[in-house]
Amino acid sequence: GPDLKVISTLSVGFDHLALDEIKKRGIRVGYTPDVLTDATAELSVALLLSACRRLPEAAEQVKSGGWTTWKPLWMCGYGLSDSTVGIIGLGRIGQAVARRLKPFGVRKFLYTGSGPKPESAAEFGAEFVPLTRLAEESDFVVVTCALTPATQGMCNKDFFGRMKKTSVFVNTSRGAVVNQEDLYNALASGQIAAAGLDVTTPEPLPTDHPLLSLKNCVILPHVGSATYATRSTMAVLAANNLLAGLRGEPMPHELKL
Amino acid sequence: WYHKPDINEELLQSLPNLKVVASSGVGIDHLDLKLLSSYGVKVANTPFVVSTDTADLGMALMLASSRRLVEGHEMAVSPDTEYFPADWLGVEVSGATLGIVGMGTIGYKVAERAKGFEMKILYHNRNQRKKEEESAVGAVYCKKIDDLLQQSDFVLLAVNLTPQTQKLIGKRELELMKPTAILINISRGLVVDQDALVEALQNKVIKAAALDVTYPEPLPRDHPLLKMKNVIITPHIGSATKKTRWVMMEEMVESIEAGLAGLPIPREVL
Repeated sequence: GPDLKVISTLSVGFDHLALDEIKKRGIRVGYTPDVLTDATAELSVALLLSACRRLPEAAEQVKSGGWTTWKPLWMCGYGLSDSTVGIIGLGRIGQAVARRLKPFGVRKFLYTGSGPKPESAAEFGAEFVPLTRLAEESDFVVVTCALTPATQGMCNKDFFGRMKKTSVFVNTSRGAVVNQEDLYNALASGQIAAAGLDVTTPEPLPTDHPLLSLKNCVILPHVGSATYATRSTMAVLAANNLLAGLRGEPMPHELKL
Repeated sequence: WYHKPDINEELLQSLPNLKVVASSGVGIDHLDLKLLSSYGVKVANTPFVVSTDTADLGMALMLASSRRLVEGHEMAVSPDTEYFPADWLGVEVSGATLGIVGMGTIGYKVAERAKGFEMKILYHNRNQRKKEEESAVGAVYCKKIDDLLQQSDFVLLAVNLTPQTQKLIGKRELELMKPTAILINISRGLVVDQDALVEALQNKVIKAAALDVTYPEPLPRDHPLLKMKNVIITPHIGSATKKTRWVMMEEMVESIEAGLAGLPIPREVL
């Protein structure tokens, strides 16, 4: 509509907004960074642990009666101790993820992105590496970058082909960063060990999508920021952004176009 | 785990040459140490190697329960799901209060991990830990378990099973917990009065539970805990990584070989 003055999004991601057009029309945009960092980072770690320790699979075996007698290698997953963690996108959420993973005994943090961020990386001794090296050396890959033309489809056949057979892939950024068909093939063929996805394309996936049939793929319904406390804070912030925009005042969190 | 064969008088009498029993894992509650000693049989376990993976699983269970992970996964993969409801929410672990009951090696490692989530950490233990150990993780000692139970958003059990810790968490303890609290058990099923737990969950005395251990294991197929939406049960996989299980097996063999050679036994339980 021609009278649209303000867009207030309940997210930190803005890949769903046609920014060129919005800027052209002089529309202001409010968003909700920072307030959702902890909840989303925490969910990323929860998803990583659920995937590497096979939680949903194991819980299902308890209910189905598949758990019978003790076998030493039954339902074994992967530990974080002495591991290498690769973070794609060491922004606010990426850093908060690294902070949470550090006490699990991670030996090395690698990260990649548009450029090195020495101040952010220092806390974890993280090394800036090209995407290919991150794939090759990581035991755990966590994707926490923004969706941009540069990152679209970034995690593809070549990427998964370089990952270790014992590695775990976690995506809590945007579904479109991942080539889903390539991910499916990598998981189904044992090219990587497991994956945890909070985001897919589309959401939800169609009910017959092959990813849904994989035992080694944990999928969540985009709940990164889905806690009572965080969503309340986001809602208030989004409302305040909107009101400020309509009043022609500075917004608490305005997206610079 | 299966704890078979049952090591009793009959079995020991039928094995006159038995010298060593090597048990996988750290728990030895299933072994009658006095009985074994009376037959001159030595016992070894695999204590420290299991600690990290078990602490990792404790964290995994706490996060999964609080953020409703298993429920969310089932929703995401279900053929009946048409859209994701906007008001489907969980509760944050970050910044919440964790009460650790049993601050041994495993309990302490959980505290180290919880600190990364800026959790407030309370602990109850037979003995208070050293000041440096407490301040490294910001843990506050609760001499009385009641204080821990009343203040915690998450209560995690990491004690060993002894006559003193059997049914440590019963009806009284569950009622002291917050109605929004979650109980996580990575110790032994018998540390919890399981029937009291079922009742507490049914009556919303506590919010949820995440259990790697139950009594028995596995639970009978019609057990109420298997049907509750707010309960996550994993099949005793605390130490279940290939790496750790390999080391456990190697340690057990090493203990057995030492015992048979009449040498001092590594990880002997006295």
